[in-house]
Amino acid sequence: MARLIAGLLELALVLWLVSSPLAAHHSFGAEFDAKTPVVLTGVVTKIEWTNPHSHFYLDVKDERGRLSHWRFEGYTVNALYRTGWKKDVSMKIGDTVTVMGWKARDGSNAAHAREVTLASGKKLFFGPPAGTGDGGSVPPVKVP
Amino acid sequence: MRRLLRLLPILACVWWPGCAAPPPGGPAPASKPAAVARTTDGKPDLSGVWQGGNGRRGTWEEANSGLGVGGIGSDPTAPPNPASQQVVSAPAPYQPWAAERVLKAYNRRGIDDPAGLCLPLGIPRIALVGLFPIQIVQTPTQIVMLYEYMSVFRVIPFQASHPDDLVPTYMGDSIARWDGDTLVVDTVSFNDKTWLTGTGTFHSDALHVTERYTRIDKDQINYDVTMDDPKVLTAPWTIHSTLMLRDGTRLREYVCAENNLDPAQYEKLLKEGVAFTR
Repeated sequence: MARLIAGLLELALVLWLVSSPLAAHHSFGAEFDAKTPVVLTGVVTKIEWTNPHSHFYLDVKDERGRLSHWRFEGYTVNALYRTGWKKDVSMKIGDTVTVMGWKARDGSNAAHAREVTLASGKKLFFGPPAGTGDGGSVPPVKVP
Repeated sequence: MRRLLRLLPILACVWWPGCAAPPPGGPAPASKPAAVARTTDGKPDLSGVWQGGNGRRGTWEEANSGLGVGGIGSDPTAPPNPASQQVVSAPAPYQPWAAERVLKAYNRRGIDDPAGLCLPLGIPRIALVGLFPIQIVQTPTQIVMLYEYMSVFRVIPFQASHPDDLVPTYMGDSIARWDGDTLVVDTVSFNDKTWLTGTGTFHSDALHVTERYTRIDKDQINYDVTMDDPKVLTAPWTIHSTLMLRDGTRLREYVCAENNLDPAQYEKLLKEGVAFTR
């Protein structure tokens, strides 16, 4: 009986924590896959402070010296500002940075950037956590 | 039972937003909350810049730095902050056919989100978003709500009725009244192009939203919303959230259509038959 009550309580609590309303312009899960984390180090070739998303681009060399080009997506401009970024100061073209994020679902050299380790060694968040805005793990409705 | 115990701290944070620990290296929680300011007519003054979907006290920087908006702790790989999620009293009470439609959108990972097209979020979703601030400007005759996200606004009169020449809109038509110290905002005349809260929570043009704003202290407004839509829901749906004061934050320009690459990307993904696995 105690287990039954605990189970019912747990179910009720889970149902209370229904999906996140969101913190980003669009669903993370529609474009990116939380099962494919990626950490890359490269040289910044382009930075776009734009809405609804900012982007930056890296030239990344693998262990054999082969070059690949990557695009990273993140917060809107105002969120970057409020997260501690300064345009044309925090990260500049030519800087070597390390990015932690998650790859795009389409297999292209694109990713959602979460944390960037800047040339100065400082770490800043460039985007929200994986899963933001994609409904979470529990649907907002019960369907028989 | 162990899973239940693990959930308790999360729920405590949801019910008591002030419980959230400060980010590592961040400031200590604010001291005892200050009293609510009042306007010359004796009503609670809701004027200020606020953040929805977040229960932490302090400035924007204090409440969000160290974890990033929507983040939790110092681990960048951690999932979105549960305390930033709205609390609902039960699953959304959709009619069976409508619940199927909501579930379909959920299973498509929100790729159909109107926000992805840079459209206004509607109500109450616009007040639940934590990434963008909201400014409230209150006068004895009207209350104005300015939303940085999508640059939308609401001019809400007191002692007024809904006009009889309304056409459906994204944000509807709102009128306000006081119920004691609680501001009650009644909104009708919505179109059916927005989501109520999270992924896929659609509604019809019969939607009627009643928002209750109660400023319980200087830092916090309790935000209780009831959505009624007899074409889609089986019963009114009530959710509870908070708005937290963000002194020193100023609203900035936000032009969503500036560089919106998402619709083209979505079209490509759907054409290629992407699997939206969780």
